[in-house]
Amino acid sequence: MSMAQQHGLWSSPMLRWIAAGIVVINGFFPAVWILFTSLKPESELVQKPITWWPHGPTLENYVRAFTDQPLLTYLKNSVLVASGATLLSLVVSAFAAYAIARLNLKYRQLILTCIVASSMFPLVTLLVPIFETMRALGWLNSYAALIFPYVVLNLPVCTLVLVSFFQSIPKDLENAAMIDGCTRMGALVRVVVPLAAPGVFTAGILAFVNSWDEFLLALSLNSSPAVRTLPVGIALYQGEFTFPWPIISAALIVSIVPIALLIAAFQERVVGGLTQGGLKG
Amino acid sequence: MLSKLRDPSEKTLAVMLLSPAFALLLAIVVYPIGKLIYNSLFAIDKDGAFLGLQNYVDVWQDPLFWNATQNTLLITLITVPGALIVGLALALLANLPFKRKWPVRLSLLLPWALPLSFAGLIFAWFFHTEYGVVNDVLMRLGLQDEPTSWLLKPRWAFAAICLTIIWKTASFMALILLAGLQMIPRSLYEAAEVDGANLWQQFWQITIPMLMPSIVVALIFRTITALQTFDIPYTMTKGGPGEATETLAMLIHKYTIDYSDIGFGSTLAVFMFVISLVVTGFYLNHIGKNAA
Repeated sequence: MSMAQQHGLWSSPMLRWIAAGIVVINGFFPAVWILFTSLKPESELVQKPITWWPHGPTLENYVRAFTDQPLLTYLKNSVLVASGATLLSLVVSAFAAYAIARLNLKYRQLILTCIVASSMFPLVTLLVPIFETMRALGWLNSYAALIFPYVVLNLPVCTLVLVSFFQSIPKDLENAAMIDGCTRMGALVRVVVPLAAPGVFTAGILAFVNSWDEFLLALSLNSSPAVRTLPVGIALYQGEFTFPWPIISAALIVSIVPIALLIAAFQERVVGGLTQGGLKG
Repeated sequence: MLSKLRDPSEKTLAVMLLSPAFALLLAIVVYPIGKLIYNSLFAIDKDGAFLGLQNYVDVWQDPLFWNATQNTLLITLITVPGALIVGLALALLANLPFKRKWPVRLSLLLPWALPLSFAGLIFAWFFHTEYGVVNDVLMRLGLQDEPTSWLLKPRWAFAAICLTIIWKTASFMALILLAGLQMIPRSLYEAAEVDGANLWQQFWQITIPMLMPSIVVALIFRTITALQTFDIPYTMTKGGPGEATETLAMLIHKYTIDYSDIGFGSTLAVFMFVISLVVTGFYLNHIGKNAA
């Protein structure tokens, strides 16, 4: 920032426009290109040289995305799996984070390290035994097969974010509530939970995006189309002979929009949470 | 009993609060790792005969294993520094004093939030031989007369996958580095200015050293995820042409899920586990040395 403010060249509005342009194009071009593709009728898509801006925009690909393929089922599965995993992640990690941040624990640092270190293990190495376990439990092709591993996947980030939030709530507030006759649990529910709400919300968004995006387990554990999530469902769209790009583009836009709106609405929280406990590549 | 639940002792409360997290970690991380090692060591063939270390010998002699390992390490060596350089550039650009911060911030968040598999699909469409924008631009610029089949040629397919991974992961790097950049005190630059240091010197002598902690954190997590690369090559090339872009994670998935060879898949996973531990250990050791 200071570099930019001290030098005439660096602080020129022109340069700022160019810099913003590069960052914005880098971030948005792929999604915008897919949006354009999704709006082109099939006749325009096979035209050469290819068109950039859609000349005859149409929604037919969106209709076909829902009618030719069970996109609505995938959407429902993704929403249920991601919501279930998010809620459970928040409960489990809020409990753990409260204990780590607030209680007089002997091995506080070790416990936190154990939880964070779990994210160092490559998920794919756990795939084989998780697959076997789910098969033994008869859980293959169920929401539970994904929800429980996703909770573990989300646990490190959520716990880190929530620990720092709990630590930022003055302990005196809780003590005061207890002196006023609240039980420990009463103080937790009436004082700590409301104050931690923003942290819980941030952790929730990160957990939701992580769960919404996961591919390997969703592909391996839920092979039946009825329980496929969006990333797997769309990646496995197969045309008779060619990959159905127009329908795929429409389906991609349908799946990107909810997440894009979510992060657009809560940008600052997401960035804050990521830099506090960001563990995702 | 009820009063105890309402007002538990510190210790009881700690156990109650921590047990769900640890139960899940035991079930989904610790037990699987134990089971994995057991599977790989005590393999039994179809007739029930004990195989012993046969799986390890088989993996060691499998050219597909060496090919996948080489691809995985190469992807890591290319995309981790690649994402760091692009991410640092994006972070420096995004750190300029903009009036409105949200367009730039959202531009960094969008690639992060996009599933890896979607990035793979979108870039596969970019590199499409007939209708891809890459061939279109190159031909309009007169750089090639005939469209190139990027994803059907081993080297180009590999390069396209690396490019996609760099694009997808650089934004997250940029977000972490941007947070680091914003923590550097302005007074450092002012002092350097007084001493007559130019921008280049300021970058190397203030920005980079002050940013080091963020860079190391970002590099560790990016390396761990790079070693697990699966989604992008799976959606772009399915490991092809041939096995030119097959990664270790894809090989494990193929043996375990497609071929149902749990013993061989587990042994591959043990190798992968060891590689990850070595890399993580290397980094942690490096950080320890720097801190000391």
